[in-house]
Amino acid sequence: MSMSPRARWAVPAVVGAIVAAAFVAPPLMASASSDDLPDVTPEQLVTDVAKAPDQPLSGTVVYTARLGLPSLPLGDVAGASPVNLLDGSSTLRVWSDGDDRSRASLLGPTSEYSVVRDGSQAWTYSSTDDQVVHYSIPASDQARYESMQAQPQVAGDLPTPAAAARSVLNLVEQYSSVTLDAATTVAGRSAYDLVVTPKDSDTLVGHVVVSIDAKTDTPLRVQVWSTKDTKAPSMEVGFTDVTFAKPSDAVLSFTAPAGVDTKDVVVPLPAATDEPSTALPEGVTVSGTGWETVVQASGVNVAGLLAGSTDALSTVPGSKPMIGSKSGQKLLDEFGADGSDKARELDLPTLYQTLTTAVPEGRLVQTTLGSVLVTTDGRVLVGAVPGSTLQADAR
Amino acid sequence: MSLVEAVPSRASSYWRLQRSELRLVLGRRRNLVLLVGLALVPLLLGLVLFFTQDTALSGQGPAFLSRVTGNGLFLVVASVFLCLPFLLPLTIGIASGDAIAGEAAAGTLRYLLTVPVGRSRLLLVKAVGALVFAAAAVASIAVVGLVAGAALFGVRDVTLLSGDTVPLAAGALRVLAVVVYVGLSLTGLVAVGLFFSTLTEVPVGAMAATVVVAIVSGVLDTIPSLHAIQPGLLTHHWLDFAEFLRLEPSWSVIGGGLAVQAAWVAIFGALAWSRFTTADVTS
Repeated sequence: MSMSPRARWAVPAVVGAIVAAAFVAPPLMASASSDDLPDVTPEQLVTDVAKAPDQPLSGTVVYTARLGLPSLPLGDVAGASPVNLLDGSSTLRVWSDGDDRSRASLLGPTSEYSVVRDGSQAWTYSSTDDQVVHYSIPASDQARYESMQAQPQVAGDLPTPAAAARSVLNLVEQYSSVTLDAATTVAGRSAYDLVVTPKDSDTLVGHVVVSIDAKTDTPLRVQVWSTKDTKAPSMEVGFTDVTFAKPSDAVLSFTAPAGVDTKDVVVPLPAATDEPSTALPEGVTVSGTGWETVVQASGVNVAGLLAGSTDALSTVPGSKPMIGSKSGQKLLDEFGADGSDKARELDLPTLYQTLTTAVPEGRLVQTTLGSVLVTTDGRVLVGAVPGSTLQADAR
Repeated sequence: MSLVEAVPSRASSYWRLQRSELRLVLGRRRNLVLLVGLALVPLLLGLVLFFTQDTALSGQGPAFLSRVTGNGLFLVVASVFLCLPFLLPLTIGIASGDAIAGEAAAGTLRYLLTVPVGRSRLLLVKAVGALVFAAAAVASIAVVGLVAGAALFGVRDVTLLSGDTVPLAAGALRVLAVVVYVGLSLTGLVAVGLFFSTLTEVPVGAMAATVVVAIVSGVLDTIPSLHAIQPGLLTHHWLDFAEFLRLEPSWSVIGGGLAVQAAWVAIFGALAWSRFTTADVTS
């Protein structure tokens, strides 16, 4: 105990240095280089991903949207809800058995919003509302389900890297050029970076980077870059950690908690079983191709939807339009296809006024990746294109 | 100092001092009032929820509150959650800020230094005293919350944030883990308070500075442009106790939160030690 005062004051400095090293070193070591991956052509990689069986996995996904929307009056007050996905960063946990059972949970600081799929059934649960929505297919469709493996559509679905990659790679063949970037590391795993660049010039999508796990061909991260913003991806969804193992049965099943109000929704399977359905729901027209696709839905009762009327939901053609742009579809989902209590609590009219700007044709939402135009005569136009294109289409 | 080191019974005199410090901390009237005040939070909260549960006001308010009427175990979680932003930091600030500065202000610190126990050990005695009081503060909320919750609403299987239900025993264990995590989350603030307490002879100053650190940390945590430093903030991981109420608690999240507290304890513990063992004690 005969240290000099100076030596004694050196102790906290040393402790501080050790602590800093302990927190800084692990991430540096994790980002080890991954240059020695087998060579592959971009085309081959796209085919591999399409062919690769879905892997059983569990992990943490971070989803970030920088859509350039006006800041929303939401904060954390509302708890975990799919509306959070409109802007900023969200953390999700995902589990999948690689087949038809999966769970995705959107995490709030003290709340959670979950989507559980178990074969022909699906549930959403919001801890903030303490409400369960149970989706199932009609009994008459049960036999057909076995052969189709088409799962019920869920309002307020959550994004995963696999789903985002699928919607991008579907557009690869005709409308995009594909190149391979330097190998990268995502969630501690070596991955190929596939760069998909639209051939169309009018779309807002600059390019899309899909990071594909070298071992399993599973998409680990998707970054969508806008032509408007070259500093950071406008949308990013990727794993921060991932384990390729079958999740436990408890995770992949769901039983509604006792004493919670459950809303039952029966979703009929699509009629055509042998060929992919190309028929559009009534009132929906599509113009343009590939990345420039503009979807137009007419006869939508926007005012009714904003008032939270469930009757107005029936005016949304097909209730779930097929839309080329993922972000556009998400926007429409938030405004249209979710007439739940949650949406009403968020004061939809105010949200709508904040997000949209008045144009001669009606009201327009412009994001870095797409636009939505709601015309005064009840049409909704959505596309991954600038607002001016939608306005021209609407005239 | 070397004379003090040579006394053969220094271990026993350490324990004697530690025992008397704990008696002092847990027996002091001001501290008992603080503990009773914290214990009143779950009691009042439980009574309010009990009498409004069939009215239009039920099911509203912050997270966990709406679950209390269905399961008394959640009264523990809701009370801890409500006390975490201000009441607990205030309690910790009072207890740890007073530890050394209080003795200095009362003029008793120099008498304490005549006890055959080195300054390092005296600081340890004070740190243990402050930590035990922090634990007592969290425990008083939890115990009263559990008793009041069980009496008013009953306890049953626990519905997690994911909507899944776990049996009562497993659920109670998770709630216990929440309480333990919250208690450990406060250790960093105890170390900060102890350091401030070695700097001054004005206990109120050390107490206020400690509470201000917790509040400023909470404010910095809400500023988006500071996201790079936020994971290291003292209060950033406090709400991660909710991890224990998720379907599969992530041990990396929980471990990360505890590691940040350990870092604050190490740095401010070392600072407090340097300051206390080099300072001239005049009063």
